[in-house]
Amino acid sequence: MGDVSRLLADYGPAFGQALFLTWKLTVVSFVPGFLLGVVVTVLRLLPLPPLRFVLTGYVEIFRNIPSVALLIFIVFALPDLNVVIDYEPSVVLTLTLVCSAFTADYLRSGINTIPGGQIEAALSLGLRPTRIISAVVLPQALRAVVQPMTSLLIALMLSTSLASQVPFPGRELTALVSKIANDSAAGMAAFAVAAAMYVATGLLIAWAGGALEKKVRILR
Amino acid sequence: MSRPLEDILFGAPSPQAQTVTRVVSVIAAAVLLLLAAGVALRFHSAGQLDARFWEFFAWPTTWAFLARGLLGTLASSAMAAVIALVLGLVLLVGRLARLRLVRWPSIAVIEFLRGTPTLLLIYVCFLVLPSVGIKLSTYWMLTLPISLSTAAVVAEVYRAGVLAVPRGQTDAARSLGLTEAQVFFLVVFPQALRYIVPALVAQLVIVVKDTTFGYVVTYGELMQNAKVLIANYHALVPVYLVVAALYCLVNYAISRASKRLGGPMH
Repeated sequence: MGDVSRLLADYGPAFGQALFLTWKLTVVSFVPGFLLGVVVTVLRLLPLPPLRFVLTGYVEIFRNIPSVALLIFIVFALPDLNVVIDYEPSVVLTLTLVCSAFTADYLRSGINTIPGGQIEAALSLGLRPTRIISAVVLPQALRAVVQPMTSLLIALMLSTSLASQVPFPGRELTALVSKIANDSAAGMAAFAVAAAMYVATGLLIAWAGGALEKKVRILR
Repeated sequence: MSRPLEDILFGAPSPQAQTVTRVVSVIAAAVLLLLAAGVALRFHSAGQLDARFWEFFAWPTTWAFLARGLLGTLASSAMAAVIALVLGLVLLVGRLARLRLVRWPSIAVIEFLRGTPTLLLIYVCFLVLPSVGIKLSTYWMLTLPISLSTAAVVAEVYRAGVLAVPRGQTDAARSLGLTEAQVFFLVVFPQALRYIVPALVAQLVIVVKDTTFGYVVTYGELMQNAKVLIANYHALVPVYLVVAALYCLVNYAISRASKRLGGPMH
């Protein structure tokens, strides 16, 4: 305990900033990742075979590629193709792509829970397919995926730790722990503090997701 | 299995809608091909299609080296998976115990390991443990953290399976006079396993992905060997592309297996 209080006296503000950066990276990659995932899901519903083929490839690639491999490719290999992206946008881009692929996959499963009779009913009411997607399919699919999306958000929050793999100007929690472990003997205490922050953030997200799930879930 | 939803949605198009769909399909295909051509042109103008960047892929030594990396990845993944399956069971039994003295610490351990990034655990094994006198080999510096964080997730997956087994099974087994341990290990857990096999196999994808961090501790897995190749041939783009493709293939195969295992059950 003495270790932890000494550590917080030395690095307290640094931990605050690191936690804030972790949160920021999570949010700025989750929001566009989620929206992109919705777009991909809708486009995959359209009866356009070439588009479906390419988007299925997109989802499978970014669901199965290790995030670090993707990040390293963006940061170190893309400059060879004359595409230079700064470190922070690279991390955000990596997480956004991965998040969008998982979102598309989960939404697809959510769509599969909708009974086909609803679509037939909507068609017989004279609704156009695009209107059915926006008014019948998406609202129900979104309500069905609150739980997997909560897990995805937590996984994404933990994945921001891979920002420590690129020379980032700011330090998020994992990068801060590795720096403290390199500089001093307080590695264990630093790890304990960072782990507590990660766990607390995860529990917070899980609690919020659970509350939302209770509110919007569809009982079938 | 009913028809996929999009088939119902667009199932009976009018002739006019069919024409529109066909035209838009052709346009979409043209745009996508243009995009692909643009990427190819970008590769060409950056000189990345030069023979010197690709010729070493024609050498068997390159593939032997990559195969050794892949073997390293699989060795670490397999060991981590085995440890996680066993340790996950231990954590599950602790989690379900009636005794609070056992249950609460188990919950704490599960939440802690589940809620901490694997990379952070790897850094602990890599940077912190040596400073307190514990020296692990690079293999264990990678495999141990992955095993631990996977074990916690596996424990929760097991729990979901156990909760899905109908209560009547437990009651019936108890009324036959089985002990609590027999009820759990002979009746409940085997049935729970059948529910969760797809989820467990899907977890294997995450294990394989996590072994990518092997380069952090310089363990010779696929990513680390890729870095060595790059240092030798200065061919970042080709090597990373090939390695990414290999990872995708391995994980895609596992995902497919998991979906197939999930098929007949539901």
